Amino acid sequence: MGDFSIITISREVESLGDEIALRLAKKLAFEIIDREGWVALLREWNTELPVEPPLEEKEQEEWMVTVRTFLREKAEKRGFILLGRGGQRILEGLDSAFHILVVAPIEIRIQRIAEKYNQDRATASRILAEQDMQRERFLMRNFGIDWKNPLYYNLVLNTSFYHIEEAYTLIIEAMRRATNKVPSVPVKQRSLFEEKNFLKERVFFSHPSEEDFARILDFYGIRWLYEPRTFPLVWDEEGNVVEAFAPDFYLPDFDLFIELTTQKQKLTWKKNKKVRRLKELYPDVKIKIIYARDYEHIVRKFGGRK
Amino acid sequence: MNEPPRLGDLVFTPEEVQKRVKEVGRCISGDYVGKKPVLVVILRGAVYFAVDLTRELSIPFDIDFMSLSPFRPGLQRVEIEMDVDIPLAGKDVLIIEDIIDTGLTVNFLVRTLEKRFPRGIRVCSFLSCPARRIAEVHVHYFCFEIPDVYVVGYGLDFQGYFRNLTGVYTLYDPTGRSTQILKAMGKGGKR
Repeated sequence: MGDFSIITISREVESLGDEIALRLAKKLAFEIIDREGWVALLREWNTELPVEPPLEEKEQEEWMVTVRTFLREKAEKRGFILLGRGGQRILEGLDSAFHILVVAPIEIRIQRIAEKYNQDRATASRILAEQDMQRERFLMRNFGIDWKNPLYYNLVLNTSFYHIEEAYTLIIEAMRRATNKVPSVPVKQRSLFEEKNFLKERVFFSHPSEEDFARILDFYGIRWLYEPRTFPLVWDEEGNVVEAFAPDFYLPDFDLFIELTTQKQKLTWKKNKKVRRLKELYPDVKIKIIYARDYEHIVRKFGGRK
Repeated sequence: MNEPPRLGDLVFTPEEVQKRVKEVGRCISGDYVGKKPVLVVILRGAVYFAVDLTRELSIPFDIDFMSLSPFRPGLQRVEIEMDVDIPLAGKDVLIIEDIIDTGLTVNFLVRTLEKRFPRGIRVCSFLSCPARRIAEVHVHYFCFEIPDVYVVGYGLDFQGYFRNLTGVYTLYDPTGRSTQILKAMGKGGKR
């Protein structure tokens, strides 16, 4: 199989990532570490270590180094598969780690949820949207990453094309071929700020006010991501998303979405309606609208007071 | 030449301001009995408030000042233009601000001062405007909560105007929105 003693599997909800992990673990005699296993493992090793990375940049870097060292030493005794938990980020660039992303088209995942929970298509679609969002928020908040960026992975598998057994064979073959092909320039451990800047280079703001707002956040060292998530709001009878909403900013330190609007307040009813709907469907999501007058105030304040 | 900015409605009279400053001073004195906090006053707006507040304190304290670079295009990150001289490690720090609205400045301050290992950090602001909050921040002491209107006076200025007023006023708002908001809370009108 090669020299990989750690496999991280990041997977979309109902993409068969868990099933593939089980198959791999059985064949390779690897341990599986899922969410519960992760908490138990870290608590047993060091009761004072948080099970999720601290948000403060320096503390987070220290946490990453500590956990990474611990996992590398653990793998020397017995190989393991880490399911989720930001494994692709924590163990990024480690020679002995192989990172896999398992995806499947949304239609197939809705179908799988509908069958699994015996629900109609529309309900299954809503369940999926909620679970997808939780996963995305976890990775965004704790690691500041766009986890579906394929560049984090050695292998991306779409299970609409492969059965579990075929996926297993492909993974084994990919690991065999990837062994000893360490990139000549090691992947740099990017800090969250570097990650943000990395993403920002690709940001095309749809309005100049958004760019100005991002500058103000940067100025105060507030981390942000631009339009990182789209929330489905309305589905048709067949469960297809017919209306969605992508807030402009996400501030991971405050777990807060921000929607910026420069329209006059009386013209913002459509946006208000969307935000109301979002709050109904996703009550745990914190979102704030910054209206034109709020925005003018911010600009006036930061340019006006001394 | 541009016309100078105009004052709007009265929000808090000088008497109301002094009464609340006295109450907050008493509250802080009670909370810090047996301690000697370091008051970190943020220049320049909070100076008026800090002077009056410290006169109401019955506890010993140290006072120092900080100044941050205001946001301006071209400056990438906020900079500390003037830092405190007093070492803060092991001390009880009380940040004194004029107004906390978006929370961006004070959030930065707390994060910055936490790295100096004080025993604790609390925040005291003359005004708090939670409707405009973006960054989470715990305001332990404040004199008044205000709605989403732009106010001046008692240290708060607009382009250098109105800072030395002893009461708090809105900046003139030609749309009448500020007046309406104040009316709804039984404020405004007289000047």
